[in-house]
Amino acid sequence: MKVLQVLGFSLVALTAGRLGAEDFLDQVDEALTVTGFNNNIRARLSGLMDLEGYYFQQPAPGLIYASDNALFNPRLTFFLDVQLGSHVYAFAQSRVDRGFDPSDGGAEARLDEYALRVTPWDDGRFNVQAGKFATVVGNWVERHQTWENPLITAPLPYENVTAIYDSRAPSSAKRFTRGLVFAKYAYNPVIWGPSYATGVSTSGRLGQFDYAAEVKNAALSSRPETWDATEVGFDYPTASGRLGFRPNQMWNLGVSVSNGPYFRAEAKPTLPPGHGIGDYHELVLGQDIGFAWHHLQIWAEFYEVRFDVPRVGNADTFAYYLEAKYKFTPQFFGALRWNQQLFATVPDGAGGYAQWGQDIWRSDVAVGYRFTAHTQIKLQYSLQHQDSVSSDFGHLVAAQFTLRF
Amino acid sequence: MTLSLVTSMNFPQCLFLVSTFALLAGVACAQSVIEGRVELPKARSAPVMNKRYEIVTKGGVIAPSPPIAVVYLEGSFLKPTTPPIAQMAQKDLMFVPPLLPVQAGTKVEFPNLDNTYHNIFSYSPTKRFDLGRYRSDEKPVPSQMFDMPGMVTLRCDIHEHMRGLILVLETPHFVTTDTDGRFRLSDLPSGHYKLKAWLSSKTTLEIPVELKSGSTLHVNLP
Repeated sequence: MKVLQVLGFSLVALTAGRLGAEDFLDQVDEALTVTGFNNNIRARLSGLMDLEGYYFQQPAPGLIYASDNALFNPRLTFFLDVQLGSHVYAFAQSRVDRGFDPSDGGAEARLDEYALRVTPWDDGRFNVQAGKFATVVGNWVERHQTWENPLITAPLPYENVTAIYDSRAPSSAKRFTRGLVFAKYAYNPVIWGPSYATGVSTSGRLGQFDYAAEVKNAALSSRPETWDATEVGFDYPTASGRLGFRPNQMWNLGVSVSNGPYFRAEAKPTLPPGHGIGDYHELVLGQDIGFAWHHLQIWAEFYEVRFDVPRVGNADTFAYYLEAKYKFTPQFFGALRWNQQLFATVPDGAGGYAQWGQDIWRSDVAVGYRFTAHTQIKLQYSLQHQDSVSSDFGHLVAAQFTLRF
Repeated sequence: MTLSLVTSMNFPQCLFLVSTFALLAGVACAQSVIEGRVELPKARSAPVMNKRYEIVTKGGVIAPSPPIAVVYLEGSFLKPTTPPIAQMAQKDLMFVPPLLPVQAGTKVEFPNLDNTYHNIFSYSPTKRFDLGRYRSDEKPVPSQMFDMPGMVTLRCDIHEHMRGLILVLETPHFVTTDTDGRFRLSDLPSGHYKLKAWLSSKTTLEIPVELKSGSTLHVNLP
């Protein structure tokens, strides 16, 4: 980790000589691109170096796992893009960080993504891809990396943990509605980040419509450990899809659906007799909108989610966000995001009904500055309010420096 | 005044005067030519597109841009009275041409010839701008005025692999070589100049040249 910090600060210092650094990083980019067989095989190694700092009130918000109020979270990400001929493309993403989500844990290295894509026709009507890769659901995935994300944190649906507990079925409805009683990592959001689960997808474009469908080994709410094929296998797959409509280049509209079992194997002994993991599904319906014109970009996603919960029934929630980014100058931009998640009621086991989660809203505001085409800094402030939590409002301040090479 | 002078002369005088003017004009316009060859650097690696999170991927690959150089005559020349207009398009997810020399004071248009958005920007001190996202039928065609001499690196905020260069020169006398490095600069005024060949941000070759009226100079660089 110290090596990462030293490397990070060295690169920050390098950025001080902006033009020299830009020229140097362009040369690094060229040096890390290799071609062979008369340009028929091309490979490019690139990456992101992120230095993040968070300051927040306990309990830590979202998918941040830290016991203190402050967290330094460096991250080094490598990407490999390989083009084999004109119809085969492969990529991989590897990270060295303190955990997939920001945490105060020790350093770890992971292979987060790897996939092989075949595009038989030049017009893009059909692609097939296999490997471990981000979900096709929604429109946030295309900007989830730090360089593209105008804010630092993910939208609420991708990081707000609910009472869903994938390692163990609740022993009663009363217990389920009691809220989060174990450590936060035991619980799941409705979609866990970009959901790099393992599987196969197809996608393509037909006129103004585009489609994508995937079969993965884990549900959208599943945690990063379950995304590896070696962890859970394909006994309980999840099927997801998105249908998109682009009336013109400005607008991008889509509807998504995902359905699949969400319990991990260790939950099996805790399920009601006669029931298996395959009996309890997470169903996600999503709608997304994207708009871009000149220096303005707007995105929104709406998710209606239902979990089949043993001994409880259907636990429904609705989560959405609206996000906008505007470039004030070539290098200075700002972003706003309004997030909200609402929870329905479930039988409380005592003849009544109770909400199975606390309604929450969060407002995120961020500014960013690109020093060069390879370096940027972002600052974010978030104000969060959740019903029935001791502190009415939660505050988060975050800063992130990114170097792209 | 010339017309009244001519009308007051007889035919032989008039013939002599016209011939003299024609001769003088011919000498003044007998412009020089420099031609030759620049030794170009090795070709760079072909770009690799980042298609990781594109739901829809098209087949095909980005064509590599062969190295070329810009050859120009350095000296003191008049600035254009009306701004010339040049174009650097985006086609098949590339800048076309990938290297564009212009004289300072030129307006460069950036038409999008693809059926997807582009967002061209530059952080170069010579010219800092961001055109935002614009589509192929955008009217008026997004453009920028390039007033300061220097190198401008162009990128696309959406397509990471796209790189283009605009070389803003003080001279109106420039040309890009072909992919073999051959060039021909014509209509040059006589005098003492420096002939330069720009190969990259790090490498510019130069040689002093003396141009005589109506001559053709053959120069190889280096």
